[in-house]
Amino acid sequence: MGLHGRTARAVAIGAVVVSAVTACGGGTAGTTGGGGAPSELRLAIGGEPEDGYDPTLGWGRYGSPLFQSTLLARDQDLDVVPDLATDWSVSDDGLVWTVDIRTDAVFTDGEPVTATDVAYTFTTASRSGGLTDVTALREAVAVDEDTVELRLERPQSTFVNRLVSLGIVPEHAHGPDYARDPIGSGPFRLVQWDPGQQLIVERNDDYYGEQPAFERIVFQFTGEDASLAAASAGQVDMVAVPSQLAGTEVPGMRLVAVPSVDNRGIVFPYLPDDGRTTDDGTPIGNDVTSDLAVRQAINVAVDRQALVDGVLEGHGSPATGPVDGLPWGEPAAAVEDADPDRAEQLLEQAGWVDGDGDGVREKAGVRAAFTLLYPADDSLRQGLALAVADMLGPVGIEVDAAGESWDVIDQRLHADAVLFGWGSHDPTEMYNLYSSTRAGVEYWNPGFYADEAVDAHLEAAMAATDEETANREWRAAQYDGAGTGFGPSGDAAWAWLVNLDHTYLVDECLDVGTPQIEPHGHGWPVTAGIAGWQWTC
Amino acid sequence: MSAAVAVPVPGRLGDRRTRTLAYVGLAVLVVLGVLVAGTLAGDAAQTTDLADRNLGPSAEHWFGTDRLGRDMLARTLAGLRLSLVVGVAAAAVSAVVALLLASAAAVFGGVVDRAVGWLVDLFLALPHLVLLVLLAFALGGGTGAVVAAVALTHWPTLTRVLRGRAREVMSSDYVAVSRQLGRGRWWIARHHLAGHLTGHFVVGTVLLFPHAILHEAALSFLGLGVDPGQPSIGILLAESMRYLTAGAWWLAVLPGLCLLVVVKLVDAIGENTRALLDPRSHHL
Repeated sequence: MGLHGRTARAVAIGAVVVSAVTACGGGTAGTTGGGGAPSELRLAIGGEPEDGYDPTLGWGRYGSPLFQSTLLARDQDLDVVPDLATDWSVSDDGLVWTVDIRTDAVFTDGEPVTATDVAYTFTTASRSGGLTDVTALREAVAVDEDTVELRLERPQSTFVNRLVSLGIVPEHAHGPDYARDPIGSGPFRLVQWDPGQQLIVERNDDYYGEQPAFERIVFQFTGEDASLAAASAGQVDMVAVPSQLAGTEVPGMRLVAVPSVDNRGIVFPYLPDDGRTTDDGTPIGNDVTSDLAVRQAINVAVDRQALVDGVLEGHGSPATGPVDGLPWGEPAAAVEDADPDRAEQLLEQAGWVDGDGDGVREKAGVRAAFTLLYPADDSLRQGLALAVADMLGPVGIEVDAAGESWDVIDQRLHADAVLFGWGSHDPTEMYNLYSSTRAGVEYWNPGFYADEAVDAHLEAAMAATDEETANREWRAAQYDGAGTGFGPSGDAAWAWLVNLDHTYLVDECLDVGTPQIEPHGHGWPVTAGIAGWQWTC
Repeated sequence: MSAAVAVPVPGRLGDRRTRTLAYVGLAVLVVLGVLVAGTLAGDAAQTTDLADRNLGPSAEHWFGTDRLGRDMLARTLAGLRLSLVVGVAAAAVSAVVALLLASAAAVFGGVVDRAVGWLVDLFLALPHLVLLVLLAFALGGGTGAVVAAVALTHWPTLTRVLRGRAREVMSSDYVAVSRQLGRGRWWIARHHLAGHLTGHFVVGTVLLFPHAILHEAALSFLGLGVDPGQPSIGILLAESMRYLTAGAWWLAVLPGLCLLVVVKLVDAIGENTRALLDPRSHHL
């Protein structure tokens, strides 16, 4: 992690040289002006995949894999729509997904896309253990030329997200080199990839869907300073900028702030400290944050809008849960915040009083003090942690905001509060963050939260065979209307703070439409609507 | 002894000596003041005020505020204190290493002396900033790593000076006489060597401070130094880079100037101490 800044600087220097060279070569488009719409776009939106462009290894897990097409897609409202698939259905027991695929799709090498390729892709992805989680798949079988059956080990309503995110690869041309030289049936084909520098793609004229307006797109992988410099010099048409730099004025460019579920929140150790440890000796539990009143008071006391304005420079929104604004989010789980009086009341009622006058409350000899860990090199989380600590001081809770490396956080994340960032279009993430079955697994449910009613709703949502039932159960897990739920009005297992806006500087002539609410991670998600982008000058 | 020889022009030397002493005293006071103020400013340096963000210098915030509304004067003082603590620790460790190696070379002579000479040459041949970065990286960053990296790269020059001085003493007539009188190595080291090395040692150590402080700032700026959550001057400068284009000059200029002043002060303490302890070499 510590390397990041230095690498970024080294890359920045390299990038300046590269952009100077390309400038001399006159290879830029977009802003060359004069002759109408350019055929080439230059984007500096970051997010270069280290492992290349093989969907079975995790490429495109945020959707829109660019070179490959997916069975389903999400539209701007995040509703699921057909893409490569023409129709799909789920058996009553939720175990078999039957998908019909279109017959006019071809790979860029001219071969048709068949059900066999789809079956091969799902089988390979489930075996590779890649980042696209297809572990629920038992087998994928091509029933005929254009029908595939995906048979699951257990019902999983969120499996639809695998159909949305897993790009289909050609069985006949999929090997070890595929990640560097992908062949697919998506809107673009790869022309050249210089790792650490740029990716050049060209329009796939055989693509069955809407044809993009631009023939050629160059993705520049430069550090943020170099990207911004390139934007100022008119070298790129779109650049991702951190919110702190979003106020930078660049002539000819406008700021596009895309709402996201890229959130930041505090996870609380849910269990008291009774000496328990994980199998590898990591301590579990915290006597302060295991108290419901403390967690609720924190949720009520924090002024989230002030965090948005002060730390995110206004480019974001207050977060009350992990899935704000998504179809499975429950608005009733939220509480009124920025109310220190109410927070103090909650603490008083629960017996937390400042007996010794040191400004910090105590209960049964335990001081209302805990450590809030954040990754030391993340200035945004540092800002949030420090600001939250200062907001909680006045209500009598002492928070020690400590920047540490992930190595240290890994050793303490079950016993100290941690400032995490999540955000996905897939409710599986919510399941993983709150289900007792995921307690202490990797970074899932680090606080060891466990509630039977919530677990029941989560399992019911997973097992649902239709989206409506699933969403109803997802919402009930957050708040069921009767005081139960993991949200702030229930168990307050986390204190979610903010949802980030992803900020981009975009050429005034480039119309990027209305982008989707983006998941965690800047960059690729914004390309989901790239086929609809237009040059307006 | 040398002072007695130089007495013929009493007034001038006395004035100069007084002036130098006063200057050293003043500089020490300022540095101590920074240490105390930095310690007191520890809490204020981390206190955020989201209503007063990115403010330029004013009567209320002399050095302005940063992106989280933290007072930059408090952060600068806390940063200088951290720099001084790291600098003192690194210089002290470095000086002890130099003293040990130089004494060993002088007392044991022969192979040990050649080995120390070879080590000094080896370390001096390597570009020390590169070595510093490599060491800090290898040690995994953090305050301890900075102290270790700076300490491990700054002993050679002082070692060379101390070794040269020790050799001179060891080859003098009175040491030869002592030897013939049957005095052992350690007796000679204690009674003849120690006294002659003290002055060089003290001055050399003080002169290591400014180096150590600057290198701590450099390493922290590069992200290899102290924990980014702590306000060291290097961290403040690194943080400010992002906001300079937005016009927030005070984030870099004022802490940077303060670092310069403190380094210059410590340097002056060293130089003047040298003038006091060893006036002859000072005039050479």
